[in-house]
Amino acid sequence: MADQIPVIELQHVDKHYGKLHVLRDINLSVHKGEVLVLIGPSGSGKSTLCRTINRLETIDSGQILIEGKELPQEGRELAQMRAEIGMVFQSFNLFAHKTILQNVTLGPIEVLKTPKNIAEAEAMELLDRVGVAEQAHKVPAQLSGGQQQRVAIARSLAMHPKAMLFDEPTSALDPEMINEVLEVMVELAREGMTMVVVTHEMNFARRVSNRVVFMADGQIVEEGTPDEFFDHPKSDRAKDFLDSIRGH
Amino acid sequence: MGYAELIAEYGDKYLHAIWETLSMTAVCFAVAMVLSILITVMRVSPIKPLRIVGDIYVQIFRNIPGVALLVIVAYALPNLKIALPWKTCVEVTVILLASAFGSENFMTGINAIGVGQIEAARSIGLTFGQTMMKVVIPQALRSAVLPMTNLLIATMLTTALGSQVPLNPQELTGLVSYITTRSTGAGIVPFVISALCYAGSAVLIGMVGNSIDKKVRIMR
Ligand SMILES: Nc1ncnc2c1ncn2[C@@H]1O[C@H](COP(=O)(O)OP(=O)(O)O)[C@@H](O)[C@H]1O
Ligand SMILES: [Mg+2]
Repeated sequence: MADQIPVIELQHVDKHYGKLHVLRDINLSVHKGEVLVLIGPSGSGKSTLCRTINRLETIDSGQILIEGKELPQEGRELAQMRAEIGMVFQSFNLFAHKTILQNVTLGPIEVLKTPKNIAEAEAMELLDRVGVAEQAHKVPAQLSGGQQQRVAIARSLAMHPKAMLFDEPTSALDPEMINEVLEVMVELAREGMTMVVVTHEMNFARRVSNRVVFMADGQIVEEGTPDEFFDHPKSDRAKDFLDSIRGH
Repeated sequence: MGYAELIAEYGDKYLHAIWETLSMTAVCFAVAMVLSILITVMRVSPIKPLRIVGDIYVQIFRNIPGVALLVIVAYALPNLKIALPWKTCVEVTVILLASAFGSENFMTGINAIGVGQIEAARSIGLTFGQTMMKVVIPQALRSAVLPMTNLLIATMLTTALGSQVPLNPQELTGLVSYITTRSTGAGIVPFVISALCYAGSAVLIGMVGNSIDKKVRIMR
């Protein structure tokens, strides 16, 4: 793996929001097929890190490389590159005025210039894969949270991304809907998708992730395999954090 | 002077006046909508100078009395060698006012969309322009139907500014002054007729607006 070019690579990334130093010297590589779980207290910079990876946020210094190429600054070229990294948000963010099918075909039609009938056929396949094909002609507000999030995953997949970022994809969901979304993600991981997942779902992390990265105060504090990290955390910060999410 | 006599004498003029009011309203509103969209796109663009110009435009024309603006357009601009026909002066004034309010309506619609959908659009690779055309503007248009219906009514009422300059033919309010200066016995009657025309049009516009809103409203 080490001699391959990573799909996502961050080198010495720093970012401030005004005086707040949200990302401090972040170095991280994600290789093809890897599933990386990003975990840490609220406010530690996990969302910001995800958002910098496809330039929804700019960085102050350092480099972000996608398959070895640096992210362009702005404009159409950057838009193209954003399409190569899928992103799934905590709050689904489906387009409220479009049907489920149109939500999935918008990117392929507008960005990839896929003919409409082909885009629709592909979209139906994806919707079927995430289990919401029957809802294709409804609008987002008619779907449950779990269904909406699965549509959001299909919408990202329709762009044939090189990697997918998930920012707490299940934390806005009612408990009974969490599993249906996680199952889709597990399936994706098994199929070899490169994934960065911000989540506190330990079972998910243990089942599919290769590596857990623990962040606090804008820094990567420690990383390891899920079993190493959850069973034998090295740093006090990680121990305290794990105690808090286990409810001790 | 009763209604029958008044209509016998000025019926033709009333028909012309209704046409003037409604056609000016339509022209002004259509141009104002296009301008509002342009100004709103400026106000949400990533380019700061554009945002500032858009905001200043709205602050100026939203906060200036219509009559004062008409005076500027009709009597101050000629000093800058911009002399417009009277009717155009009225229309320009109404358009400037209506587009500022129109942009505010669109901004409210955009704020209701929230950054989440905009970020989702960017993350699937849409450019700023595509995000505007495919995600932001369609939703802003649809959620702006009711406020824009009100703005259309307000635009119609604002064309009454036409009574402050010599128009030929006159619009509904100008005609009232015309009649009352000529037929002194007419009393309140000419005014009531104009008022009914305004109110009737407004009710109609309101009904159409409501039914469009029902069709396009976005479920949230
Ligand atoms: N747009 C922003 N402007 C200013 N501060 C922000 C912004 N977004 C996030 N922050 C701050 O940056 C820090 C990290 O936030 P975030 O990346 O959302 O953390 P996490 O996802 O780990 O909870 C927090 O203190 C948050 O308040
Ligand atoms: Mg977060």
